[in-house]
Amino acid sequence: MQRMAYKFSFPEEVLEHVFSFISSERDRNAISLVCKSWYEIERWCRRKVFVGNCYAVSPMMVIKRFPEVRSIALKGKPHFADFNLVPDGWGGYVFPWIAAMARALPCLEEIRLKRMVITDDSLELIAKSFKNFKVLVLTSCEGFTTDGLAAIAANCRNLRELDLQESEVDDLSGHWLSHFPDSYTSLVSLNISCLGSEVSLSALERLLGRCPNMQTLRLNRAVHLDRLPNLLRRCPQLVELGTGVYSTEMRPEVFSNLEAAFSGCKQLKSLSGFWDVLPSYLPAAYPICSRLMSLNLSYATIQSSDLIKLISQCPNLLRLWVLDYIEDSGLDALAASCKDLRELRVFPSEPFGVEPNVALTEQGLVSVSEGCPKLQSILYFCRRMSNAALNTIARNRPNLTRFRLCIIEPRTPDYLTLEPLDSGFGAIVEHCKELQRLSLSGLLTDRVFEYIGTYGKKLEMLSVAFAGDSDLGLHHVLSGCDNLRKLEIRDCPFGDKALLANAAKLETMRSLWMSSCSVSYGACKLLGQKMPRLNVEVIDERGPPDSRPDDCPVEKLYIYRTISGPRLDMPAFVWTMEDDSSLRLE
Amino acid sequence: MPKMFSSKRILLSHDWKWIIHSLGNLILDQFHSLEDMGTLEQIDAPQTQSSSSSSSSIDSNNHPSRTPPPSSPSSSACRNRTDLSTDLRLGLCISPSSQSELPFHSTPREESFNWPPIKSILRSTLVGKQSHLGQRPSLFVKVYMEGIPIGRKLNLMAHYSYDGLVKTLGHMFRTTILCPNSQPLNSGIFHVLTYEDQEGDWMLVGDVPWEMFLNSVKRLKITRADRC
Repeated sequence: MQRMAYKFSFPEEVLEHVFSFISSERDRNAISLVCKSWYEIERWCRRKVFVGNCYAVSPMMVIKRFPEVRSIALKGKPHFADFNLVPDGWGGYVFPWIAAMARALPCLEEIRLKRMVITDDSLELIAKSFKNFKVLVLTSCEGFTTDGLAAIAANCRNLRELDLQESEVDDLSGHWLSHFPDSYTSLVSLNISCLGSEVSLSALERLLGRCPNMQTLRLNRAVHLDRLPNLLRRCPQLVELGTGVYSTEMRPEVFSNLEAAFSGCKQLKSLSGFWDVLPSYLPAAYPICSRLMSLNLSYATIQSSDLIKLISQCPNLLRLWVLDYIEDSGLDALAASCKDLRELRVFPSEPFGVEPNVALTEQGLVSVSEGCPKLQSILYFCRRMSNAALNTIARNRPNLTRFRLCIIEPRTPDYLTLEPLDSGFGAIVEHCKELQRLSLSGLLTDRVFEYIGTYGKKLEMLSVAFAGDSDLGLHHVLSGCDNLRKLEIRDCPFGDKALLANAAKLETMRSLWMSSCSVSYGACKLLGQKMPRLNVEVIDERGPPDSRPDDCPVEKLYIYRTISGPRLDMPAFVWTMEDDSSLRLE
Repeated sequence: MPKMFSSKRILLSHDWKWIIHSLGNLILDQFHSLEDMGTLEQIDAPQTQSSSSSSSSIDSNNHPSRTPPPSSPSSSACRNRTDLSTDLRLGLCISPSSQSELPFHSTPREESFNWPPIKSILRSTLVGKQSHLGQRPSLFVKVYMEGIPIGRKLNLMAHYSYDGLVKTLGHMFRTTILCPNSQPLNSGIFHVLTYEDQEGDWMLVGDVPWEMFLNSVKRLKITRADRC
């Protein structure tokens, strides 16, 4: 056999072409590590960048490395900001990014932001700077008004997607929608469900009528049900619809009109909205139920019997979000009808009540885990749980990838044995070997963390509240969970020891949040000094931590890895622990 | 390493925790030194500089009751050691009980606007539906202070009177807000609290009964007292 020693390499263009088929960020990152020339080729042809923490890297660093990027996704505040744990003004300002990109990336087409603060100035800058701008998705963002939206509508001639999912918008008026010019026809997706004011429905109807590629329309609560049929008739090709308020005066022609309009939407696969539902109008949607794959009834305050009638007609349902009005009987029906179900979320209808107001228990979840073989993702609020039930769920569904359980009363034990729920959650992590996301609740000791550290090898995100006994708990997690990226903890007796002993682990994670725990200011200072590539932020509304003894615990702590050093936009109640090189030994 | 800890945990878990709790905090230290003697026998660890009694890593706060006793935070004396990983292996740290607050116990009132973990948008939709007593709904309004572009959010339902509101705001914005109908006691910079009502008018906070105020307030503004 001849052995030929020769240098063979593909021309750059060929490699670039090959790389163009690879879109996953992780794969792209892997490619860039192969060798220097692959790094160079890859960075010039990377089109999509995802920055999981906007403070982990500076805009200039991203732009310098990926000069041809067309799509950027940024995340700002920590996840617990969704539950009012991060004080207002903490940060997450997107303006520096927009300003830098406006100068350097004129071909930018897509901006997706989550939990960031975006002002009207930023929106105006986007509208003016990116000629081919196509996609703006603002999930759980805040800081802007409908004036900023007007600027986007007026100037972005190629806009395809405008999605304001769950953002807090200062809603000055609905007039902004009329700023879309008559020549504008490229809208594909519009989500305004978070807006308060009425938009001009005639302007919306005209807009929908001239945009033949409309696929997603999520209306806001202010759109009355009797106007819905007209809107649907303008875009019968809709794939995803969010209704407005789902009630009106009972008039027979409204019902038949609505039913006909729904029937005309042959592609409709996803429904949401359903504020203030009048149950007698639900049957109008029956014609499309057989095609439905996603149903979001999180705002629908309807009783179990009406829910059962609706759900039993949706055999192709993949995703259901619903209030606990569904009760155990409704979940039994779900388990019987929806064999393809992948994701279930059950939200509490009366989250502040102490006594249960509905007949929803752990049994409902057990039913669904038995009846739905493809179920992968669970978010479940309930008032009681048992180790036995968790064990059953774990054995039924080893394919779970996301399991978030919230037992509403903190530290609730197993209601049958009064023991901690350690072994139940232990069964979940042991049997569900692909588990990526886990949220704990109920009475839990350090034991559960031992299980998690031992078995949760694929776990990427863990949320903990009112659990554990000592630093051992935290130590188990930090030392055992090899793939941990995000850890968020509140009201647990975790202190300095585990944190300092696992300091190096923190650099392998995106972030760690700890609030109402026992981490002392002294430990935070030490961590900041020893770990220059971490930003250790102490968030304390009681005033400067220097004014209290070093062993005093901090209110809130947010630690994240970064290559751009401490940020400069902190408010008065946030302190970044200094990296003091002179204190570092050796 | 975890294996060693797990056997230690079995020994010390349920039995010790219940005993410690029922005998009370006063005896806690003695039990801790007993435990650590056991620890030192099991783990071969290099001697360190720390001496005297040490607290174990087990704190007695796992009782199902809602108010666990305070844990003693680690002292800064430990910070002299360069090898941070020995800290945990030994479970050793000098820990004088400090006067600091109970950090990991939230007050019930705090729990109601950041627990259970549901998003504000769902919370505000549901609150409108709730009818019976014992509920603690939330009413978040934006508060701006003159001269500061970034506003803060505040849950008005967490307060029961103007006094509580003024105190919280004074704390949040680090200034003295004059109570309704009061005069400043000395010279200095003072602020007053105004609110925008449903009609868009700006009124001085404190003129109407508290409940009426809750029904009409849209947002708050703190302005300098000499400007009014």
